Amino acid sequence: MNAAATGDVVRIAWLIGAMLVASAPHFPFVSPWIIALVLSIATWRLFAEQRRWSLPSGWLRIPLALFGLIAVIWTYRRISGVQAGTALLLVMVGLKLLETRAERDQAIVALICFFLLFAAFLREQAIWSVGLLLLGTTFTICALLQSSVRGPPFPPRRSLMHAMVLIAQAIPLMLLLFFLFPRVPGPFWALPAGGGSGITGLSDTVNPGDISSLSRSDAVAFRVRFESAVPEPRERYWRGPVMSFFNGRSWAWRDRGLRPRADAATPGHAATVNYELILEPHGRRWLLALETPVQWDAPRGYLAGGYQLMNQTPIRQRIAYRAGSVTGGINRIDEHPRYLQANTFLPPASNPNSVAMAQRLRRAATSDRAYLMELLRMFRREAFYYTLSPQLLGDNPVDEFLFETRKGFCEHYASAFAVLARAAGIPARLVTGYQGAERNPLADYWIVRQSNAHAWTEVWLDGAWLRFDPTAAVAPERIEYGLEEALPAGERDGIRGLRGNPVLNRLVLSWDAVNAAWNQWVLGFGPEVQRSLLQSLGFTKPSWSDLVAAMMTSCAVFLAALAFMLGRAGVRPVDPVLRQYRRFCNRLANIGRGPQPAEGPSDFARAVIGVRPDLAGDIVAINALYLQLRYEGMTAADRLAEFTERIRRFRPSRRRQPD
Amino acid sequence: MLRLPWQYAAAQIGDRGRRWARRRQGVDPQRLELARRRIYILPTRTGLAYALTVFVLLLGSMNYNNNMGFALTFLLTGIGLVTMHHCHRNLVGLRLDFQGVAPVFAGQQAQFRFIAGNSRTMHRWQIRVAWDRSSPRYVDIGPLSDARFSLPLDAPSRGWMQTPRLAVSTTFPLGLLRAWAWINLDTTALVYPKPADSSPPLDVLSSAQDAGGQQQSGDDEFSGLREFRPGDSPRRVAWKSVARLGTLLVKEYREGGRQPLWIEWNAVAAANTESRLSMLTRLVLDAHRERQAFGLRLPGSAIAPQRGEQHVHQCLRQLATFGQTDDGASQEPSA
Repeated sequence: MNAAATGDVVRIAWLIGAMLVASAPHFPFVSPWIIALVLSIATWRLFAEQRRWSLPSGWLRIPLALFGLIAVIWTYRRISGVQAGTALLLVMVGLKLLETRAERDQAIVALICFFLLFAAFLREQAIWSVGLLLLGTTFTICALLQSSVRGPPFPPRRSLMHAMVLIAQAIPLMLLLFFLFPRVPGPFWALPAGGGSGITGLSDTVNPGDISSLSRSDAVAFRVRFESAVPEPRERYWRGPVMSFFNGRSWAWRDRGLRPRADAATPGHAATVNYELILEPHGRRWLLALETPVQWDAPRGYLAGGYQLMNQTPIRQRIAYRAGSVTGGINRIDEHPRYLQANTFLPPASNPNSVAMAQRLRRAATSDRAYLMELLRMFRREAFYYTLSPQLLGDNPVDEFLFETRKGFCEHYASAFAVLARAAGIPARLVTGYQGAERNPLADYWIVRQSNAHAWTEVWLDGAWLRFDPTAAVAPERIEYGLEEALPAGERDGIRGLRGNPVLNRLVLSWDAVNAAWNQWVLGFGPEVQRSLLQSLGFTKPSWSDLVAAMMTSCAVFLAALAFMLGRAGVRPVDPVLRQYRRFCNRLANIGRGPQPAEGPSDFARAVIGVRPDLAGDIVAINALYLQLRYEGMTAADRLAEFTERIRRFRPSRRRQPD
Repeated sequence: MLRLPWQYAAAQIGDRGRRWARRRQGVDPQRLELARRRIYILPTRTGLAYALTVFVLLLGSMNYNNNMGFALTFLLTGIGLVTMHHCHRNLVGLRLDFQGVAPVFAGQQAQFRFIAGNSRTMHRWQIRVAWDRSSPRYVDIGPLSDARFSLPLDAPSRGWMQTPRLAVSTTFPLGLLRAWAWINLDTTALVYPKPADSSPPLDVLSSAQDAGGQQQSGDDEFSGLREFRPGDSPRRVAWKSVARLGTLLVKEYREGGRQPLWIEWNAVAAANTESRLSMLTRLVLDAHRERQAFGLRLPGSAIAPQRGEQHVHQCLRQLATFGQTDDGASQEPSA
């Protein structure tokens, strides 16, 4: 194999390396056939290059490309969206490898690698993605460099050095642009739907009978920083979707009901609790808030029926907002009678035993309130158990739960309680959300995880919605101490997992603190944070044009400094006499009479005077001074000054001057 | 060649740019250092695609409000800007010495010899040097060192060949930008006429001139030894005698009574001047190979019979510049 062929193999290998780094983060998410396609083409291409096989012709490549396109559409049923788009990029980059001989094709593959990296960030922006950014960019820059080098490729060490120097010098510019590039809120065009990318969290329906094992996800739902006193554990109810629609099996959420006025804060309760909440994206429109939100600064937030804080658009990025809430479990509000009536609806002939029992108990009770307290007592007194793996329930889930299985988690209890209340003609609804919070002692904030998900009921009593949490009656530890305390011993291990060990738990919390800082300062950086950053830098009212000016100026200053540094690098300091003499020679070179390689200074002077006698005076004087300064060891400062001055004034014209 | 309108426009713009740069810079000395002000820089096609990529990534990052996307976009922007400086620096201060060019025959390539010098302690990578519209040379120059290279240029026809403009450029490090400088060396190369494939044999020629001429043996007769004088060919040194006597002796030859050969303009029959010149060139070369003294007589000039490389060169030059003004005389290349 000759040297040129080896060089091509090296170039292709770099390109394939860059492609693998950029596409590896996608492998867990795309169809296996795409991974197989990309890997097999990459392997084949390396072999083909090594053995100088000819690459497939257009007759083969074009049908292959069409086939790839159709296969992607077939697999994903669409062509837009992150999932399908990534798959298409991978197929494209794979097929492009089949025709990369020229520098142009290799550059195209490298540019597609950048798009693959971007797609990876759409999927995940955790702190480790900085590593992916640096690694992916380094490899792709190396591939670009190798593809543009003529002749033998650079050894790996040298090309890595070049790429790393470029990246290191580009990082300050990246930071300047990152913080100063004017950020505009919101998307310009509709974002593609998540496409079932498995965001966990609350849902807009609750089917207590259909779940046989509840996810015990440790994933963070949101983080909270309290600005006022931290509420008691039993008051840490975070309101999510409020469900009023019941069909006999499942509860559903609708964005309906009267919207409470923001100033409709319930009087007679403790002062508002103020906090900042950083919500992880969940792809739905609800914002979480402590029990009864009365103020909030989420830019697109509004208060829907049921005191539910909503966003106008789905939450696809992490979002931070401040809010103030009233706790205590009572919402006084003027509800529309029709809404209240809807909240007593039960489908006819569903759960007949429960309805019968409810009516019997209500007749025995003196008031609605006494009846509801009796229900709680029943849950506490009788043999109900809290478990995360209940049995599946049939057509009348509440009947089966109340009279047969008697094992369930919060949704079973809340659902049963609401049905019993409605059966007695009392408006009742299901509230889902989170209960509890875990403090991170390393940084002063609280973590609410998906495993904190909870459901309770609200009942309309005496002109206000009152919170009733039947789960608290069955398993009070669930409310006071958290989920693991409420579970039977056999179920606890799965929940605690790593966090059971205090040392590991501390590590986990430290890592969470780092992540929280990353989320807040890097991923949470947006128009608002940018404005406050500029204000802290001294701009009183930062405008768009201020930002552009600041960005351009700082980048220009950096680039000028870099240019100066690069210009100086490698230039050895020159003796001042020699430097002046070179200026003199350059001036003469500019008029077409520079020194010849073999000419000494005196010969040179004589030769120039021979052609241009009109310059003789200056040239003789300068030459004499030069000889003295350089060869006779004259270093007197005034002589050097005179020499410099004479050369500064020496401006020979192109044409010969008349004497 | 058929050109599309935009290609034509691009060629027009290119020509205008060349003329403008030429007016701006004038003729360059044969030894120069690339100054900052004469280095131009523009993105390559790859660079434009890179810029488009960065722009699309920016739009995507803004749309998805994706901060890691912004980080990637801005890192790539930064790399693009930094690359510009590296690309420019790769050329600034590069020294280029034109060393000369040896004469060639028409149809061959003239090799212009250069030294590229680097007076900095950094490497200069991938410096591309090329005559306009000719194949390039790529040179790497180490810190504080020189690189010698020669640059070929097709010599299609005899005479003094004017060099086109020289372009020194680089797309290092990433091929996104091209920095270049145009150099108008205004040097010339001497191109001898292309020797004809065949011509009347020399003996026929000489007998045609001088009917009583002797049969030629190809070698002259040995006439004796004399002391070495500077300028004698080492081939003529009598090494055996040197070994014996210890002094340098040179064999002398007598011209065997032969008349010196005259290569005459009218000695060959040819359709036109060019083919006649190429036949005469063949004769000159053949005579030189036979180590025969010969003279050349062209209309309006004559070169007395002589022998040796210098003489051959003079004859060939006479043939090369026949009918042209010998304006390259002042720029005699140091062959």
